[in-house]
Amino acid sequence: MKLHSSLTLISMAVVVLLLSACTATVTPASPPSPQLQPAATEFRVGMVVVGPENDKGWNEAHVSGAKYVMEKMPNVKFDIVDKVNPGDRPNVKGAQVADDLIARGAKLVIFNSDDFKDDALEIAKKHPDVMVVHVSGDYAWPEGKNYKNQPNLINYMVKMEPGWMIAGCAAALETKAGRIGTVGPLINEETRRYAVASYLGARYCWEKYRQRDPKDLQFKVTWIGFWFNIPGVTLDPTKVADDFYNGGFDVVMNAIDTPEAAVQARKAADAGKAVKYHHYDHPSGCELSADLCIGVHSYNWGLGYLNIIKQVMESGKVSNNWIWAEADWKNWNNPDSSALLYTKGKALSDENSKLLDQFIAGLGDGSIDLWKGPLNFQDGTPFLKEGERATDVQIWYMPQLLEGMEGQSVPTN
Amino acid sequence: MAATSQPSHAAAPSAAVLPLSLVYRVGALVAALAFVGLLILVVGESPLSVLGALISGAFGTADQLGRVVNTLTVLLLCAAGLVFTFNAGLYNLGIEGQITVGAIATTLVLRLLGEALPAPLVIASGIGFGLLGGMGWGLLAGVLKVYGRVSEIFAGLGLNFVAQGLAIYLIFGPWKRPGVASTSGTEPFPESLWLGTFGRTEATPVGVVLALAALALTIVVMRRTYFGLRLRAVGLNLRAAHVLGIPATRQLLAAFALCGALAGVGGALQVVGNFHRLIPTISGGLGFLGLLVVMLVNFNPWFVLPVALFFSALNVGSLQLPLVLRNVDSTLSGVIQGTLVLSALIGRGLDQRRSRA
Amino acid sequence: MDVELIHIHKHFGEVHANDDVCVRFRSGTIHGLLGENGAGKSTLVKILSGYITHDSGDIALDGKLVSIQTPTDAIRHGIGMLHQDPLDFPSLTVLENFMAGGGGLWLHRREARRRLCEIASSLNFSLDPDAHVSELTVGERQQLEIVRLLALGVQVLILDEPTTGISAVQKEQLFAALRQLAADGRTIIFVSHKLEDVEALCDEVTVMRQGRVVGSAAIPCSPAQLVEMMFGKPLAPPIKPPTAREEIALELREALIRTNTFDLHVPHLAVRCGEVLGLAGLEGSGQQEFLAACSGLIPLRHGSLRLNGREMAHRPYHSFMRAGVCYLPADRLRDGLIGGLTIREHVALRAPTRSFFLDEPLNARLTMEAIRVFNIRGQPNTRVERLSGGNQQRTQLALMPNPLSVICMEHPTRGLDIESALWIWQLLIARCQQGTAILFASSDLDEITAYSDRVLVFSGGRVSEPLDAHRLTADVLGHMIGGKF
Repeated sequence: MKLHSSLTLISMAVVVLLLSACTATVTPASPPSPQLQPAATEFRVGMVVVGPENDKGWNEAHVSGAKYVMEKMPNVKFDIVDKVNPGDRPNVKGAQVADDLIARGAKLVIFNSDDFKDDALEIAKKHPDVMVVHVSGDYAWPEGKNYKNQPNLINYMVKMEPGWMIAGCAAALETKAGRIGTVGPLINEETRRYAVASYLGARYCWEKYRQRDPKDLQFKVTWIGFWFNIPGVTLDPTKVADDFYNGGFDVVMNAIDTPEAAVQARKAADAGKAVKYHHYDHPSGCELSADLCIGVHSYNWGLGYLNIIKQVMESGKVSNNWIWAEADWKNWNNPDSSALLYTKGKALSDENSKLLDQFIAGLGDGSIDLWKGPLNFQDGTPFLKEGERATDVQIWYMPQLLEGMEGQSVPTN
Repeated sequence: MAATSQPSHAAAPSAAVLPLSLVYRVGALVAALAFVGLLILVVGESPLSVLGALISGAFGTADQLGRVVNTLTVLLLCAAGLVFTFNAGLYNLGIEGQITVGAIATTLVLRLLGEALPAPLVIASGIGFGLLGGMGWGLLAGVLKVYGRVSEIFAGLGLNFVAQGLAIYLIFGPWKRPGVASTSGTEPFPESLWLGTFGRTEATPVGVVLALAALALTIVVMRRTYFGLRLRAVGLNLRAAHVLGIPATRQLLAAFALCGALAGVGGALQVVGNFHRLIPTISGGLGFLGLLVVMLVNFNPWFVLPVALFFSALNVGSLQLPLVLRNVDSTLSGVIQGTLVLSALIGRGLDQRRSRA
Repeated sequence: MDVELIHIHKHFGEVHANDDVCVRFRSGTIHGLLGENGAGKSTLVKILSGYITHDSGDIALDGKLVSIQTPTDAIRHGIGMLHQDPLDFPSLTVLENFMAGGGGLWLHRREARRRLCEIASSLNFSLDPDAHVSELTVGERQQLEIVRLLALGVQVLILDEPTTGISAVQKEQLFAALRQLAADGRTIIFVSHKLEDVEALCDEVTVMRQGRVVGSAAIPCSPAQLVEMMFGKPLAPPIKPPTAREEIALELREALIRTNTFDLHVPHLAVRCGEVLGLAGLEGSGQQEFLAACSGLIPLRHGSLRLNGREMAHRPYHSFMRAGVCYLPADRLRDGLIGGLTIREHVALRAPTRSFFLDEPLNARLTMEAIRVFNIRGQPNTRVERLSGGNQQRTQLALMPNPLSVICMEHPTRGLDIESALWIWQLLIARCQQGTAILFASSDLDEITAYSDRVLVFSGGRVSEPLDAHRLTADVLGHMIGGKF
């Protein structure tokens, strides 16, 4: 048998060689080849996307941002590689994908996940002439804890905390039982500060607009362990949402990438329970179980991308490598000026809608500042003294949940 | 006497047998390629442009070539190890776990020794421990098989699961990055602990040397030593080998240990030469890919190198597909691999059926 | 129902498995079909039950010609067969198996359960309808299969070697049930190679040998007559020169050897150096296990085994090998040689060397020598599975170390031409002259009487005292093989 298989292999090798010989002559005629130089006016941007480009969430929001830029600037071309994660593409590193994108002419590379921080730094070091944008990292933040002095590395993040405060406020306005549950992803600094922000918003509106004692507000976070359900590894978000709805929590806030909270809300409502949910990340999230959706806060990445690309095209650099973009409080919800968008859902009553507008206006003009002491951490130690205001560093590296919140502050390991 | 280094020294089959056999094998292969080509046509691309994109994606730039070489080194180590287990009649599906444990052992050594010793010494002991870790994990599968009477397929898959769990536990637990544990793995090692590379590419000379040495060793052991001969005997007929007085248990355990050791070195290279840290999926599926390679070459070590190179190039080159072509995703490489192996197995099956009839 | 097989022919390639077979099975009788392994009796009943199609010949039921192409045809004509290993679905329950193969689209569990219990109790079988078949013994699975066939309306019941692997109690139950079925007017065809079963159960017997019917008889009849029919002519005279010496090579005391179905007890046996001990008996009577135990491949359950005076019981196989024991199995490609390896690679595996690298010049020299001395028709690089049976046996012999104290062989010349057989025995006798003791099992009684110094007869789970081969007669041997000693 061995002889036969050897012959097979030889013949296979011959076939492959023949085929490659054919294409060797065909290649020049075949469409875009990586060595092709881009047109002089064209500016190529590479984007390394961690998840699928059509996930109706985090990743799709970034791809929409790229499309926004291409609409505004026709001479900018994006090369996008999605699903760059070890599950979908084993043995492929973000840095390798970026290398390929740069070889195809990219002058700027965007990494869209915290998980790419090492890759982003590696690529920035390896290609000093290419600008590298890492979304959600902190290596380019001089005040931050992990600053790496790398001139061509940019950190870009949208300041979503006010969005979470608005979400929390809306939830507090709508809860009848005074019990709000959050389906949370994994526990890290980013997710902790988001949870804290939503609690601060909820507590404020509960106290100020509903005139209730904060002690009567139950605010619980259940972390499933990742951004989406991985059977056997994470908690099942469907079950977590069900437990909330069945356990008397009448408003559930979704903080993960997938819409189990919305789906289970529909089931609970069909079973006669008066429940509502609040969504996150992508405006279309409110279309599921639309009549039960209180609202959704989402990112507008295109704006920041446009800004960065313009600067890089003009001067080869950006004025500030650390970008924590804010909402445009004056032109609320304008996609051409606000990095943060909020869409109200059908389940938000007209009366509460007005209160929410009031809250947003207060956040915008600074009359409502929730990052102010006194605030204690969950373990009772002080976070902010009376009158003290939290710095960006304190907010970014949020070490714990706050007093009054239920849920884990640190992963059990 | 005739040199034994010939891939096959069977009695020459009669002239009538040879072409028919070839027809089956080549026919299966052509059918596989035709199938893939048709698939590409159906989604609206030209097979030639796909092939062009694959080739330019694998060999277009020095970086890409470097990546092909890096993938190849680990794949070769795994495939070389699997030649031993396959020849001993074992389906070592636990190879992924053996890579993982090798990588964990290497990470452990690098973390412990870190700056304490000169970097080359740390790297060398890291690779050495990777070898021992993989070997231990392989032997564990062997012990379960030989003494526990657990099929090596299930033992291996179970141990893969355990190794993967161990890696995830370490990354999210004791070895988590300062601040935030992350699926991106442990904190990267300082560059002094990275293996040197060819120029600015990722390919490491040490990896290449180790992989080629492992392959050469495999060929020599399988073709030139009593150990290799006994291994084949055990693999072909365990019962008769026992009757002929070959200590089958020892041979089986040795095959597991050797395969685990080489896979462990592969895992070590993933850490010191490729990822520079421990990540949850450190094996990158290269162990399973190695299984495909060795099955495709019918366990014959002489053909491991070209087929492994082909698969490495396919893997790396396919990354380019979605960038160059609108309608083809990089997962096409998986389809090509699967189709090739399936067709090779079908071809072999048809041929054996025919020669038995 | 009377069944008549008329001039049945069946070829498998070169082998004429059924050669002009004519038999008549009368209704209301139990008819034994007796013969050695490979005599063609299984082929014949498989033709009758539709599992094999015959090349030519006719089948008549109650005088009417019928065509049976498939098992379904056979069942429709009222013919059912109980296989050696019952064809059932181990994961299903007794009841579900009983219902499988029944007609109709719908399953009527309650009705089926009633039928099952009714038939089973009429035959004194106790079957739990809800037990899983995987938990049943072979005997219980047979009972289930019989009940199922009867429920299908079978009038002719064929049983292929039904007494292999069942307990004595179950055998009694089976025989009682078969007698009752025959008394009810059914035709029972009982295929066996066991004389004592045929004698105990059957009304008449037909003996087959080498694909032909060689005779039939009404029971009771003399076992010697049956033995002669089964094995052919009177026994061959001894032709081996005396080679036995005084010293004892192998000695067993109070040895108990486990087989699949029984424990074989050997009170005392001493085999002298240079002696040839033939093991006679129908196949599956324990000879194989006896040889495996003597060569250390399976352990004694208890008792003592001495090789050249040294106690070897419970020592591992390789200690036996080192003590000079060599085992040559009957199924060469399964147990003795490694298909896929060449003659030279086999020689290398046995080469007396401790070096790590293959010593190719040495192996080449040893291989050429083996091919020349043992007259193997093949090249050093020929794979053993491509060799003919005779040349495989020559290769096995060539691989035997030298010197040896004991050789344990199964069927030394099975499947070989006369010339090869003679040559192999010359070689073995030469070994005896060097002092090697040989224990061999054979189904060829001529071979036993021609080459043995003494003979052990295996029958019915027992082994006889050693008999002097020179004083052996066909009658004595036939009785003993039939279990009378």
